[in-house]
Amino acid sequence: MPPHLTRRAALVALVSLTAGTALAACGGGSDASQDLSDEPVTLRFTWWGSDARHERTRRVIELFQKAHPTITVTGEFKEWNGYWDSLATTVAANDAPDVIQMDELYLASYAERGALLDLGTARRHLTTADFDADALATGAIDGKQYGLPVGLAIYSVVVNTDLLTRYGVALPDDATWTWEDLTRLGAQVSRAGGGTVTGVQAWGFDTGGLTLWARQAGAALYDDAGDVAIPPQVLAGYWQYLADLTRQGIAPPASVTVERASGALDQSGLATNASAFATWWNTQLTSLATASGSQLRLLRFPGEAQSATPGAYYKPSMFWSVSARSRHPAEAALFVDFLANNEEAAAILQTDRGVPANTKIRNAIAGQLSPTDRAALEYLDSVPVTAPPRVTPKGASGVEAILKRYTEQVLFGRTTPEQAAKDFIAELQREIDAA
Amino acid sequence: MSALGELRRLRAPGARTRRHRDNRAAFLFLSPWFAGLLLITAGPIAVSFLLGFTDYNLIQPPAFTGLDNVTRMLSDERLHQSLGVTVTYVLVSVPLQLACALGLAMLLDRGLRGLAFYRSAFYLPSLLGSSVAIAVLWRQIFGADGLVNQLLDVVGVAGRGWISDPGTALSTLVVLNVWTFGAPMVIFLAGLRQIPVMYYEAAAVDGASRWTQFRRITVPLLSPIIFFNLVLQIIHAFQSFTQAFVVSGGSGGPSDSTLFATLYLYQRGFNNFDMGYASALAWLLLAIIAVFTAVNFWAAKYWVFYDD
Repeated sequence: MPPHLTRRAALVALVSLTAGTALAACGGGSDASQDLSDEPVTLRFTWWGSDARHERTRRVIELFQKAHPTITVTGEFKEWNGYWDSLATTVAANDAPDVIQMDELYLASYAERGALLDLGTARRHLTTADFDADALATGAIDGKQYGLPVGLAIYSVVVNTDLLTRYGVALPDDATWTWEDLTRLGAQVSRAGGGTVTGVQAWGFDTGGLTLWARQAGAALYDDAGDVAIPPQVLAGYWQYLADLTRQGIAPPASVTVERASGALDQSGLATNASAFATWWNTQLTSLATASGSQLRLLRFPGEAQSATPGAYYKPSMFWSVSARSRHPAEAALFVDFLANNEEAAAILQTDRGVPANTKIRNAIAGQLSPTDRAALEYLDSVPVTAPPRVTPKGASGVEAILKRYTEQVLFGRTTPEQAAKDFIAELQREIDAA
Repeated sequence: MSALGELRRLRAPGARTRRHRDNRAAFLFLSPWFAGLLLITAGPIAVSFLLGFTDYNLIQPPAFTGLDNVTRMLSDERLHQSLGVTVTYVLVSVPLQLACALGLAMLLDRGLRGLAFYRSAFYLPSLLGSSVAIAVLWRQIFGADGLVNQLLDVVGVAGRGWISDPGTALSTLVVLNVWTFGAPMVIFLAGLRQIPVMYYEAAAVDGASRWTQFRRITVPLLSPIIFFNLVLQIIHAFQSFTQAFVVSGGSGGPSDSTLFATLYLYQRGFNNFDMGYASALAWLLLAIIAVFTAVNFWAAKYWVFYDD
């Protein structure tokens, strides 16, 4: 082949490639209140979760496509850790999916950097009338609705009543029980369990438990300005309690706790019937019951009755967000509307993403739920809660990794709870300041 | 050594006088690789150098911050922890790995039956060692209910969660790296084959013990190969990522005991929206590897013996 021909061919290829990219770039910038396109549109939708969730979501997508034949939705799903790595890279590459399942930890980090659409601009295609103002507020930052809450959850204690019965330990009255009660009952189970079963599965690896502990003390992890506000002695008390459980054998040895905490839900102490009491989001009851095969029950957190204000709060399990750079914001908003407001979709999704934050939908599906899902819903309706904490500030999305690290150090006795509290606060504040 | 001889021959002046036409064909055939190098490797490397001087959160455009990232490294305790972990890992695992490789190469060199089979069997782990599957397997083997503890249980020793205990987690990764001794072993084996048997025969006639033969004949004549393996494996160990990422679930835990430098820079870049600093860390790692390699080359003058 004569070389000059190759060079020309290469040039042609290069020019057409560049032109293609330039044209593609021109396509962006439409706004969310415009008419739906008559042309076929493809939306990319990404979420994290289990296989069961993928299956339910796939069926909802099919339902949506049947109702809107010109819109195709392609799903991209991953497990939790890989999800955030890949979302960060696709956003950086200007290739973010149109509809994004978003978490409270990351909402501000993405929204305050301009990566998410203000859903308030999409009212024409997306109604939020059936949502509580309080629930909606959890997805708003500076008055802009960057995320529509999908479900609500409360951090709770889950107890294996089969184990309590087997060891002759009384079920506590969760309207009045204290942290000392949890210690005492846990010790009874551990004694009777003879090394194979421990009373409590130690926690301290997610923000739910810490936030609740702080709120019982009248404190909060962050103040309104988004700075770390938890007093060191409150944090130290939290770790001291966990360290005591481990030292006394009420919780498993540190290395077992750490290993289970890094595994999946069905490898946890509660799911494997190796611990009687554990802390989980109330909506995880069904998965836990399936994995353990035992009778499980949701309890309020210990110490709620003794504290001035209860620590329990509604945590938005996740949000629907739309990429600010979506080329089809109107269609994306329409799809979110379908996910959030359509009763047929809700009948498929049920409580997989939390007890629906949409109150009309919540009532509509109440009759269709399994016993454990109904228990989770009743728990949500019966537990006294106070106003939710501030959304995790920008820069603090890594708080659980930091928390996990210091909990490990405390449990292994490599640092004292007091020192860990000081270091944790300083490190988290540095992350917020740097962002 | 024969590979070095090949290189010298390639650089011989005759190569330059080849016809221009042939070069064009060569470049044409090389072009896919060359495009890959420029777009996928060289381009990002150059960009990461520039990003090292910025504050870049992946979503908004990078902001130039001069040497801020460098000053930040000085007071970054997790960085210091990660460098400590990485250097410990390199200094412990590479000598152990090379010792195993050399030991087995010498065993296999003694005219074993079925040599090809053993060579492949020992080589296999080095192909698998940095794969996700093996890291997952490692997690199982050294878990609280894993194979190691079951074996220990048989002999009446109480095990522990090797991977979830900060005191032992890094050791399991060292064992994993040592286990992949196959690649250097095959190179050692080739090197051993090049040592003339008559040297050993002469030494045996003179009454030299096996140990003396090893010290006086094998080590000096093999030293270029040992050097080659040492340089390569040190660089390789510094770049380890997959094992620690999978075994610790991406956290470098428990309590940062397996936080390799590569893992830390990955966390900064992709978990903490801190790509500017992560890019600077990547260049720091490159500089550290360069220093280790330079020291290696300098030290080589004193112990590496070239026969030719």
